[in-house]
Amino acid sequence: MSSSRLAATPVAAADTAPPAGGPLPRRRRRVDLLPYLLVAPLAIFIIGLALVPAGFTVIESFFRVDDVDPPTRFIGLGNFHRLLTDPTVQTAAVNTLVYVLIGVALSTVLGIVMAVTLQHKFLGRSVLIAILILPWALPGVVEGIVWSGIWDANTGLLNSVLSSLHLIDHYHVFLGQHRLLTIALIELVQVWQITPLSALLVLASLQNIPGDLYEAARLDGCSAWAAFRRVTLPLARPGIAVAMVQAVIATLNVFDQPFVLNGAARTASSVMVQTYFISFQNLDFGEGYALSLLITLVTLVLSYGVVKAVYRPVEF
Amino acid sequence: MPSIRQGARRAGAVATLACLALLGAACSSGTKVSTATTGVTINVTLAIPAPPKASLAAFTKATGITVNWTNIDWDSLQTKIAAASTAKTYFADATDVDWSRVGQLGKLGWFYPMENYLDTKSLTADMPQLSSFTTGGHVVGIPYDASFLVTTVNKQQFGKAGIAAMPTTIDQYTQDLKQIKAKGVVQYPLDIPFAAAEGLSTYWYQTTAAFGGSILDPQGKPQFTSPSSAGYRAAQWMITALQQGLVPPGNINVTDSQGQQSLMAHGQVASVFGDYSGNVGSLYDVPSSSTVANQVTYLATPGISGPGPNLSNPDGVGIPRTAKYPAAAAKFIQWFTSAANQADFAGLNGPAKALSSYNMPSRLTAVSELNSKGNLIGGSQLATILKSSARPVFPGGAPPWYPQFSNAVYTNLHSAATGSQSVASAMKAIAATANQLANGG
Amino acid sequence: MTTRTHRRIRARWFGVAFILLWSLVPIYWTINTSLQTEAQAGSKPAHYVPPTPTMKNYTSLLGGSGGIPSQIRQSALNIVIECCAATIVTVVLSTLAAYAFARMSFRGRNVLFYAVLATMAFPAYTTLIPLYRIMSDFGLVNTYTGIVLVYVSGFLPLATWIMHNYMTGLPLAIEEAGLVDGASRMQILRYVMLPLALPGIISTAIITFLFSWTQFLFPLVLSTDLSTEPLTVVVQALQGQHIVPTTLLSAAGVIAIVVPAVIGLTLNRYIVNGLLAGSVK
Repeated sequence: MSSSRLAATPVAAADTAPPAGGPLPRRRRRVDLLPYLLVAPLAIFIIGLALVPAGFTVIESFFRVDDVDPPTRFIGLGNFHRLLTDPTVQTAAVNTLVYVLIGVALSTVLGIVMAVTLQHKFLGRSVLIAILILPWALPGVVEGIVWSGIWDANTGLLNSVLSSLHLIDHYHVFLGQHRLLTIALIELVQVWQITPLSALLVLASLQNIPGDLYEAARLDGCSAWAAFRRVTLPLARPGIAVAMVQAVIATLNVFDQPFVLNGAARTASSVMVQTYFISFQNLDFGEGYALSLLITLVTLVLSYGVVKAVYRPVEF
Repeated sequence: MPSIRQGARRAGAVATLACLALLGAACSSGTKVSTATTGVTINVTLAIPAPPKASLAAFTKATGITVNWTNIDWDSLQTKIAAASTAKTYFADATDVDWSRVGQLGKLGWFYPMENYLDTKSLTADMPQLSSFTTGGHVVGIPYDASFLVTTVNKQQFGKAGIAAMPTTIDQYTQDLKQIKAKGVVQYPLDIPFAAAEGLSTYWYQTTAAFGGSILDPQGKPQFTSPSSAGYRAAQWMITALQQGLVPPGNINVTDSQGQQSLMAHGQVASVFGDYSGNVGSLYDVPSSSTVANQVTYLATPGISGPGPNLSNPDGVGIPRTAKYPAAAAKFIQWFTSAANQADFAGLNGPAKALSSYNMPSRLTAVSELNSKGNLIGGSQLATILKSSARPVFPGGAPPWYPQFSNAVYTNLHSAATGSQSVASAMKAIAATANQLANGG
Repeated sequence: MTTRTHRRIRARWFGVAFILLWSLVPIYWTINTSLQTEAQAGSKPAHYVPPTPTMKNYTSLLGGSGGIPSQIRQSALNIVIECCAATIVTVVLSTLAAYAFARMSFRGRNVLFYAVLATMAFPAYTTLIPLYRIMSDFGLVNTYTGIVLVYVSGFLPLATWIMHNYMTGLPLAIEEAGLVDGASRMQILRYVMLPLALPGIISTAIITFLFSWTQFLFPLVLSTDLSTEPLTVVVQALQGQHIVPTTLLSAAGVIAIVVPAVIGLTLNRYIVNGLLAGSVK
């Protein structure tokens, strides 16, 4: 849900230096209270409403927390064992892997295409950037309405366009029939939402590339494509890495889109959708906590891997 | 161990309190239970629209209880009930009790026993479906709507295909549908909601009943594993109908399940096998939402060798343990489910007093009153079906693990419908889930 | 040489066309549907422009005194109140904390800073039930305060990160001059840092506001009736009710996106700067 969007950017933090040291001279030797006063409200919020609830989640993932099966009791790794042997969770894990692969690849490629389009100044560029970020700003609830109008089997735009072009002879059911197609179309909706941020992140990297590098490439007789491959791509790596990390986080936690467009069907159910059903339908909160803990761990590991593989510090 | 966790929660609570003080926010009162029944405002949250303002105003005038009505979709409402009850916090004084959740709710103790507030014993005779809301000797909720599953057919389309006599057996019914398709009256004559949702489970229960069997025995053992069992044959019939092009392929998709009845209302299908009683009057005969007004009629569900049973699918209302005004809520429920009100809601005294999307009174007296005045569309058929053949899905009551079981039913049937597994393996998987749940795993 | 430039320009126009189609077609389609009657929306092939544009869906959602119009109006008011309150609190608290993180050294600074950022990696579902319990312990379920507190706790980390990055990018010289002149650090924050950091503050405010506007699951659980339910929850409930025509649903969707769309189109410069300050460093 929102968290995936909230978490859209911060992993970059793991890669940056600690906050800049306090350059202002302290005038007294006594304990300086002011910084503590300034951060206290933030600390209270984060501890009380984020870390403490998260702590419950970690602790209770080792408990049987199920109002249908009281009392709450310690069961060690029992929840994790049940999850890993549950075929519906396994299917959802495979589906989620496909969501991640499609989503990260597509949002990165499209993000690069959009960023390259916007790299140099031209008339109307700022208007185009405004239009670019529009899908990112819209509520997920409305996205479901927007995209079901396009995929719909009876009145959808896609069916109408394809049959007007005589590419199909009758209206098709796009969602729910074929597993890979269903996942791809649902993921496209999420890509629609997350690509603007990817494009902006890559664009920021591109703006740092000095123009004379392209000039030099041209003098060497490089084609535009060669210049893109030899200059643009390598130098945009920091931006691409961050864009891919935000895409990894968003796609691993994909919930809104499959929940609205696919419901409970196993065809395209994601791990987050399973977490929802385990917690709120089966009321097995311990297992739900365990599954979200697993997702968090996978997110951290995968994000770290992407940064290691893609990120290269760039010096000009 | 729980005490440690409670301690941690207290620590978090203290931190939160501090930040509240910082913001200057005042803490309002927590959940306080009051037995007051006058001069109070109660929150009623159900998955149906509010009754007409005038009738709620009349209730307020008579009792001094003001009703604040919230209409929220069924799935979101179940999430709210679960979240509030788990966190032991107030969210409404009266809310939805679905028949399928009765077993689970009975075990959880999330609702007050209604027999403490109403004379449920004397209600039983007039409210046959009360038994579906009784578990472990306690009444969890009071049925306010006695809808049950029934077959609906578009007589005009059947007529166009040259079918004069309505089918009474499944074989005849299937044959007729094929004929409607063959004659080109409609491309996909049969409506089955194949989306992976509760509606698919319900449809399979009804089809299984029509094939002369049941889903679970009273001990909760699955009855559908053998290929000759009713449940197995019902699933096979549903999947085959889809494969043979009798069912619109779009029904596989969740977004279309919301419109499953609208297919019928727009004349795109000729029949719904497991439709909801009341739909003819509340939907198909309403010109603003339907193009088939006066063409659709109820049909006693075709069975193996004649009309089969119809499963009841009632909606109930109960008082959550976290309610602030349980006694006032009980007064409201008593009023809401009274025979006079039910007749009003069903349209006995004109549309101004009717409750939209209200299907079928749960009181026999209200049904027969409606029927005698001829105000219930298809009423005589419905009254007959209700008395003679409507029966609960699970004679022993819904098991506590019903929601998980139903999830296994609709996800497996759905994947069989998309061709990713056979009917045999779907039945096997559903049975495995049922056995595992029944054994407390 | 010229053919190459031509080709590059052609490639750019291809890119421009792609961005326009990609972003606008789905939204256009929803608006298009919302301006049609149910029968028109169901036609095959579909109408690519409304044949007889009608505002009927909008008037039946917004006008009148029926159940749905009053729900839409009340929930629109709720969402504005909740988003504004969450934005104000988030911006104030994150600015104060970011100033300390960026310009002062104190014990536990790095631990706290990383703890704040780490909370962003946790999926929202994990904390929903514990948060709900804490809120109900204080009787804050179904209050504006409760919803705003949860929003603030969710958005503070990103806001603090953006503000911190913005402030560390500001030159030190002016502050040092102020200190030499004997100004207190709070005076420096008030009269030196705040004016300089204003663009960063605006960015943080807009991003927080937009994030608050998109919330669904938390308000679904935390608000129990129309007194606090935001527009997104009401629109989703419409979607869940049977037989709400797609035309009406599309109109409801358009109503729910007007505010974020206008903000996105007019204030995009701040959004871009804020998001970039919050990510690439």
